[in-house]
Amino acid sequence: MYLKGDFQEKDAAAQALRDLKAIGFSGADLDVFSDEPIEFRRGVLDRPSRMSLTVVVGAITFCLLTIGFVYYTQYDYPLVTGGMPIFSFWATGVVFYELTMLGSILTTLACFLWESGLLRRRRAPAPVVEPEVICIRVHCQADQAENVSRCLTRAGAQDVGRIGDRYE
Amino acid sequence: MAAGPEIIPYSEVRQDLWRPLSGASPRYVAMVFFLLAVSLWGLFSWGYQLHEGIGVAGIQRPVFWGFYLVDFVFWIGISHAGTLISAILRLTDAQWRKPVTRAAEAITVFALMIGGLFPVIHLGRAWIFYWLIPYPNSRLLWPNFRSPLVWDLTAISTYLMGSTVYLFLPLIPDVAQLSQHATGWRRKLYRALSLGWTGSDREWHALERAMKLMAAIILAVAVSVHTVVSWDFSMAIAPMWHSTIFGPYFVVGAIFSGIAALLVVMAIIRKTMHFERYLTPHHFNNLAKLLLLMSLLWLYFSVAENLTVWYGNEPKEMQVFGARARGHFAPYFWIMVFCNFVVPFVLLGIKRLRTIRTATIAGVTVLIGMWLERFIIVVPTLARSRLPATWGRYAPTWVEISISAATFAVMALLYLLFSKLFPIVSVWEFEPHPEEED
Repeated sequence: MYLKGDFQEKDAAAQALRDLKAIGFSGADLDVFSDEPIEFRRGVLDRPSRMSLTVVVGAITFCLLTIGFVYYTQYDYPLVTGGMPIFSFWATGVVFYELTMLGSILTTLACFLWESGLLRRRRAPAPVVEPEVICIRVHCQADQAENVSRCLTRAGAQDVGRIGDRYE
Repeated sequence: MAAGPEIIPYSEVRQDLWRPLSGASPRYVAMVFFLLAVSLWGLFSWGYQLHEGIGVAGIQRPVFWGFYLVDFVFWIGISHAGTLISAILRLTDAQWRKPVTRAAEAITVFALMIGGLFPVIHLGRAWIFYWLIPYPNSRLLWPNFRSPLVWDLTAISTYLMGSTVYLFLPLIPDVAQLSQHATGWRRKLYRALSLGWTGSDREWHALERAMKLMAAIILAVAVSVHTVVSWDFSMAIAPMWHSTIFGPYFVVGAIFSGIAALLVVMAIIRKTMHFERYLTPHHFNNLAKLLLLMSLLWLYFSVAENLTVWYGNEPKEMQVFGARARGHFAPYFWIMVFCNFVVPFVLLGIKRLRTIRTATIAGVTVLIGMWLERFIIVVPTLARSRLPATWGRYAPTWVEISISAATFAVMALLYLLFSKLFPIVSVWEFEPHPEEED
């Protein structure tokens, strides 16, 4: 089941997250919803990412594929080059560079879609968030619901309740 | 340019920035029809050229590059608005950029779409454009990857792809909010574009990371794109083209014209959409200072480029230099200097004169000056080639003028339609608290 609590203040929401983690909830059980990005201090609700690394890998992959492709096509139909090399790295460097960057762009887009979870089928209900409200959603078992509600209320949440049926 | 911004409640911000999306005034409709008519006239002119052949354009031996190439370089230059304002300022975390980023990013995408069309128009036989695309065709021929034309194709395609992603990503939270309030076809459109955005912290984190990465990537791509465009010229061993500083010279000119375009667009948006509270004198003041800086940089590069030619006194180069500075092209050359340096220096360099109105005037003159600069670079070198027996002149025909005029209309039309569909100022990025403004 899913419980949610609405907060007006970022600090109160951060306190609620700390309290919930203290009673055994992990980052995977917790989600924060808002209509603008909320920056918590390190350790409150970290979301580790491999986006930068993946983008570098994507760029290198595209670069190697492009070099291979250009090399193959130049030899596939060898033009008369008057003694110059058929495959010229420097004269085709611009193409390698641009397609390397294209690789990084496409990988960034793919990573964004993957890490954000957009386009994926989601089972968890998303709460409707009013402007300037921070909503914390907690995935918990029925026997933990009372503890979670107490945690949220103590930290300053308004409108603590179950979500799922109404908002799904 | 004084007064600090006021605190505006979020609900009011949203209401104000969404207001232009609903309804259309008679003036808006009339403008759309006028721009559509000019665009269609341009389309007709291109159709005429396709039917009759490239001979209906003024380009002929020895000047094979005319208005089309001038427009190509000009529009690719304009596309640098989004890159500079959005990417550089995002990377440096400049808060004042927030209300102007989307306007800049939209300029980038539309200018690239228009600029990218010109090599196709210039080909004459536009229907064989696909020969540039690498695919195993029936004659087993592949494109020549050493050709600057293929460099242009890859550079512009990459930049267009990157700019579209860069415009689209920060649009997602806004369209997600809009989808909750819109009705009918707009609701369907916004829901499709929002990709199921819920506003969770995972989504925000992913968006912020992606935007930071994209800012760095798009910056590197933008610099390379205009460098590649400059290499279309400097790789040719032609007088006053074969220059080592053409890459940075073109990039500086591109950023210069991009900022000018942004200033003009912002002034129009501010006036027509009544965004006086969001696009404040503070934003215009900062952009005006950037424009002044770029004007000085442009002057530095122009002097460096021309002085070395004049001092070197190489006869073939001096023919082109003479045609530019004293001969047939001198009026264009000196108008360019006046528009790109004198006007911005006087209007923006003197603090007392620096207002929204003067910044806009400077923006317009810089746009004129930068178009002339492209003309001055492209045409005189071809008209005064190495062999005096092959010298010639260039005069554009009505076809070229119509197509060029239509591109400005298309740009304005795309912008009008975009601003009617999407908030031109990013709602979620807008910071209504003045202490965080700068």
